[in-house]
Amino acid sequence: MIAKLEDVVVEIKGVTVLRGVNLEVREGEAVALIGRNGAGKTTTIKTIMGLLRPKSGRVYLLDEDVTQKPAHERANMGIGYVPEGRRIIPDLTALENLEIAYGGKVPEDLLEWVLQFVPDLKRFLDRKGLYLSGGEQQMLAIARGLIRKPKLLLLDEPLEGLAPKITAIVTKTLKQIRDEGFSMLISESGIVKRLEGLATKAYGIDRGEIVYEGSLEGILSDEKARSRIWGV
Amino acid sequence: MDPGLILVQTFNGLVYSSILFLVSSGLTLIYGIMRVLNLAHGSLYMVGAYLGITVVLYLMSGTPLGYLLAFLAVPPLTGLLGAALERGLIRRTYEMGEEYQLLLTFGLILIFDDLVKMIWGPAYINFPDPNAFLGGFRFGEYKIPVYHILLIALGFSVFLVLWAFFSKTFTGKVMRAAAQDSEVVEAMGVDVSKIFVYSFFLGSLLSGLGGISAGPLYTASPGMGTDIIVYSFAVIVIGGMGSVPGALAGSLIVGVFRSLAIAFYPQMEIVVVFVIMALVLLVKPTGLFGAPEFERR
Repeated sequence: MIAKLEDVVVEIKGVTVLRGVNLEVREGEAVALIGRNGAGKTTTIKTIMGLLRPKSGRVYLLDEDVTQKPAHERANMGIGYVPEGRRIIPDLTALENLEIAYGGKVPEDLLEWVLQFVPDLKRFLDRKGLYLSGGEQQMLAIARGLIRKPKLLLLDEPLEGLAPKITAIVTKTLKQIRDEGFSMLISESGIVKRLEGLATKAYGIDRGEIVYEGSLEGILSDEKARSRIWGV
Repeated sequence: MDPGLILVQTFNGLVYSSILFLVSSGLTLIYGIMRVLNLAHGSLYMVGAYLGITVVLYLMSGTPLGYLLAFLAVPPLTGLLGAALERGLIRRTYEMGEEYQLLLTFGLILIFDDLVKMIWGPAYINFPDPNAFLGGFRFGEYKIPVYHILLIALGFSVFLVLWAFFSKTFTGKVMRAAAQDSEVVEAMGVDVSKIFVYSFFLGSLLSGLGGISAGPLYTASPGMGTDIIVYSFAVIVIGGMGSVPGALAGSLIVGVFRSLAIAFYPQMEIVVVFVIMALVLLVKPTGLFGAPEFERR
């Protein structure tokens, strides 16, 4: 198993955000985590990454209990992170952003490898993060998450805030990454259609509780998931 | 107005700018970059001066070798002291908010001031004059000491080293990245808590270097850290938080204008600095070299 949350409860500033979440990502899966804004998607992903610590429950990565491990150690175990809002370092160039994630100068062949997924990145490697468009930033954020060939890639709302045309490109890129055998967890704030053909499995989350587990298509016909997530 | 006096006061201003730069570049690292409000940064400047006088006067009886030794040994010591303060005390306040940092580091100022009085006594201590062996030049009716020229050279050299460090080296880039988004940098596999210690070490080293440099100019006195920290905050507000070139520009402006005010209108010595600061804030609130405000996390 690549990643597993077991009865995870997370509090942020005294407010319970996750209430006993159970979730699993197996090797080669692209798992979708679907829920509205504020449902607990980002908190779930940050808890897997180690940026938030659970109040109770356990976090496993690559069959190891990592509940007490800091985020940088989890990153070094092989967890890639593509944060919500992309969060490119604005003051550094695209290439320098990759270097920070790689931990030094990126070898030429590795750069070539990453560019096959995001070929457009080649055009703006020397541009500062501040001057990149939303789509360019998302490409860079994905490349940054991939640069160490992670065992699990966490993508927090990678399709949010992009032009429809760009959304399609990003989805295609993610499919390509999945087909290379990378395991992924992708959060999405409710437009299930965007993940069609990409997600091999889906979880629905609402108010810090998992309300659905099954196929991506199934979430739209599942009564509990529909009423909790979309209120219909 | 005597043009010679203007020149000499500008030169003296540059000397003060140089010391101000050493202290405020350290401050801009710690406050501007790491967002840690360390009022005790000035105390490390004071400790630098007192450790300096211990080496120069008490251990080496004012010899040139004593000065050399002090300049080499004292800054790393204040650097280690700063790193220890971060690890032992200041780190505990990160989750609590800036008001706790203010209280803690203000407390540290009082403790350091008293410790200095206990160890070295409350009286001002004069350094042996380094120009006794360095000499000086005549400039009309004025004398330009070699030590002053060396200090200006030191300030600019430190600027070049810092600039190269932050723009050319990987560690420097990681520090800049951590300043802008420490959470993401941590998630990229960087132990950010180590970056904080490095910053404190480097920042405190610079403050100590400022202290030992200033000692021979102004004597060592308890409370000397408070004077410099006030100006240093003005410098980084004028130059832009977290910017090393900004710290240089701010130091040059504050140092030179203050020095000219002392010569021509002494009542304005302090006011002039804060008038400049207010003007800069009105025109460019992020400071002269401040980055456009991006979201900090």
